[in-house]
Amino acid sequence: MLTFVARRLLTAAITILVVVFLAGVLIHLVPGDPITAMLAQSGNASAVDIARLTEQYGLDKPVWQQALLYVGNVLQGDLGTTIRGNEPVAPLLLGRLPNTIILAVAGLGTALALGIPMGVIAAVNRGRAADFAVMLIAILGVSIPGFWMGLTFIQFFSLHLGWFPVAGTSARNIVLPALTLGIVHSALVARMTRSALVDILNEDYIRTARAKGLRESEVLMVHAMRPAMISIITVVGLVFAHLLGGQVITENVFSWNGIGRLAIQAMLQRDYPLVQGFIVIFATSIVLVTTALDLLYGLLDPRVRRR
Amino acid sequence: MTRLTLSALIFGATALTALPLAAQTTLTVARSVDADGLDPQKVSTTQSSQVTDLIFDTLVTLDASGAPHPGLAEAWEISEDNLTYSFTIREGVLCHDGSAFGPEDVVFTLDRAVAPETMNPRLSQYGPIKSVTAEGNVVTVKMTEPYGPFLSYLGSFSIPMICRSAVAVDGSFTPIGTGPFTLVEWSRNDHITLKANEGYQGYSPLIENKGRPYIDELKLVVIPEAVARMAALRSGEVDLAEPSLEEAAILESEPGFKVYSADLSGQQVMAAFTWKLAPFDNPEVRRAIGMALDRDAYAMIAYEGLVSPTTCPAAPGLIGVDQAKCAEWGTRYDPDAARAIMEGLGYTPANPLKIKLSVHALPGFDQMHQMMQQHLAEIGVEAELETREVAAFFDHMAQENMRTEGTPVLWTMGYSGVDSDYMTVMWQRPGFVNMGVGEELDTMLADQRMLTGDARVAKLQEVQQYILENTYAVPLVSPGWNWLWASTDKIEDFKTGFVASIIFNDVKIAE
Repeated sequence: MLTFVARRLLTAAITILVVVFLAGVLIHLVPGDPITAMLAQSGNASAVDIARLTEQYGLDKPVWQQALLYVGNVLQGDLGTTIRGNEPVAPLLLGRLPNTIILAVAGLGTALALGIPMGVIAAVNRGRAADFAVMLIAILGVSIPGFWMGLTFIQFFSLHLGWFPVAGTSARNIVLPALTLGIVHSALVARMTRSALVDILNEDYIRTARAKGLRESEVLMVHAMRPAMISIITVVGLVFAHLLGGQVITENVFSWNGIGRLAIQAMLQRDYPLVQGFIVIFATSIVLVTTALDLLYGLLDPRVRRR
Repeated sequence: MTRLTLSALIFGATALTALPLAAQTTLTVARSVDADGLDPQKVSTTQSSQVTDLIFDTLVTLDASGAPHPGLAEAWEISEDNLTYSFTIREGVLCHDGSAFGPEDVVFTLDRAVAPETMNPRLSQYGPIKSVTAEGNVVTVKMTEPYGPFLSYLGSFSIPMICRSAVAVDGSFTPIGTGPFTLVEWSRNDHITLKANEGYQGYSPLIENKGRPYIDELKLVVIPEAVARMAALRSGEVDLAEPSLEEAAILESEPGFKVYSADLSGQQVMAAFTWKLAPFDNPEVRRAIGMALDRDAYAMIAYEGLVSPTTCPAAPGLIGVDQAKCAEWGTRYDPDAARAIMEGLGYTPANPLKIKLSVHALPGFDQMHQMMQQHLAEIGVEAELETREVAAFFDHMAQENMRTEGTPVLWTMGYSGVDSDYMTVMWQRPGFVNMGVGEELDTMLADQRMLTGDARVAKLQEVQQYILENTYAVPLVSPGWNWLWASTDKIEDFKTGFVASIIFNDVKIAE
């Protein structure tokens, strides 16, 4: 088990390091110059100032040199300073990360609360009207764009009914963005739950359990749901990782003060250090979540440890 | 008598308790983006300076015509050779932390602004400062060469005065100024809370209330989505918001709301040419294209009548800008004459000149560019529209303006400033995104910086005449971006100042 854990952690560390280097290189392939864009918006884009700031921010160096320098700084815990406002990147992102995690957890909770019952209902009623109805709802959840759903919720729940504030980052504000994220991601949870349960409900041991006279609810909740959990945990991990970086649009619509909003602004402004910092934090979160899942599989299923 | 006094006291006490306590007035404003920072010597965006402008005051102030008036400096003198400025600093002004503002703070501000380690993005606006010294309550600024726009920039949010206590020994910055509002809290990307500076004394000719602002608290919240901002305004969650162009047009005719358009924005939108590329190297072709563009229609239709057509290469209201003179020097909408010129050069709608119309996205721009395409097609010019986001667009145009071969490009852009000197940044070689023209114009632009008063006005007009008569640019509309505000009709006397600054000194919230 110890070797298994060490191997997974080493892989995670190497992956993060490669991502940091690639982030340093790839960001420069996107067209656009952050200094010209910044000074054009300040009404002071003189050639002298552009050249001076380009040099001061080290943007005149070759891309590979900038990328290596960035990796070195990140290894020392320094994510650099923003081009806009000249502020340290790390506290800026880490200060907002809790808000993003809170929204991700709330979105995930909503997705599970909606998705698992939907998946169970569909699996138990396989091939019947209830199955089709649940899967239709799931497809709609995936198909409706999150930003449209969010704006519709604002119009209805905030403007029409006055139940929730339109914007902000507080306990009252979390309901609508969590619901939006939850509905969008519940579809995946529902489909995965259904698929896992349908397979398991056809297994011989389930037939045996029914033949022994166990109640259907007991068969379902004890004998079927437990083995289905490994598939559901996979989805939970993926959805959570996706929510950490993929809720950018929802944060923007509901003015939720997470790192996603900061990232959008940084990308539009080509604020390289801030975008790179976002990639580092996002990639690290994904790697940590997937590594934790790997370790969890290892605990749940000894066959995984032996691979 | 005793009974009477007692009765009066009881009556007075009862009356006092019956009066409601004066309610704290908070004005909530929704903006699309937050400030990048609150250190005015490190920020670059208008949205950042809109906030720092509320916290920090300026040495001089500007009236609606751009003329300088006293601010933190109660008087000033300029030496005959235009190299030395002597500012008499007002006494009795207090910083937000209670310390006295004085000449040392001015010296500190200017020294810090030009120090390389500050990495000030607006450094060149400070001009060629040689030294800043204080003696008594007089601050002397010496220049290495004359710098005409110095007073204009000193009156803008580009060069505010910071108190020495703002910068700690370890270099950390706290926004401490002498402005109408003090910082209470900043939750980045979420909200900024400011409160009225109780001892404020204002000097700007643009404000009527020279004392403490009427409102107690000002909360600037960030709501990035235009639809959500408008929902917040309509639900009463915010009092004032940046509307989209479409929403502004709707709100203007709706009872219960007011729409504000910045008159002193210093902003201007124009079309320019990659003039090194044939046939744009021919002034006649540029002239024909200028005559095909209908700026009145763009203002009325694309911008819903919320902007004005403009004829000068610098924005209305800035020094040396005379719309009537510019109209004589530049092109007027005359599609028949434009078509005749193009036909003479062999281009017709059946055999068009193929160009690119390169643009970036901004509210109002899309519809204007579609109209421009139609207008150009009518005179035998087929324009392929290319839209980029802002950061990529300017980088792209810097390369396009260097090319000497290939498809010619007509491009649109906006620029803003508090002084017509921004034409120097744009047009003096290499110029903004390499749009510089040549030696003759470079010399005129350098000369205007050496002058003051009427002589400078004359030189600035010479510059504009040169640009327009050679049709290097076709001015279109003003203002162009970040210039619209909408409020509920409870809000009274909200104003905008130079370069789309926002003024809350006179604002009252009606019951």
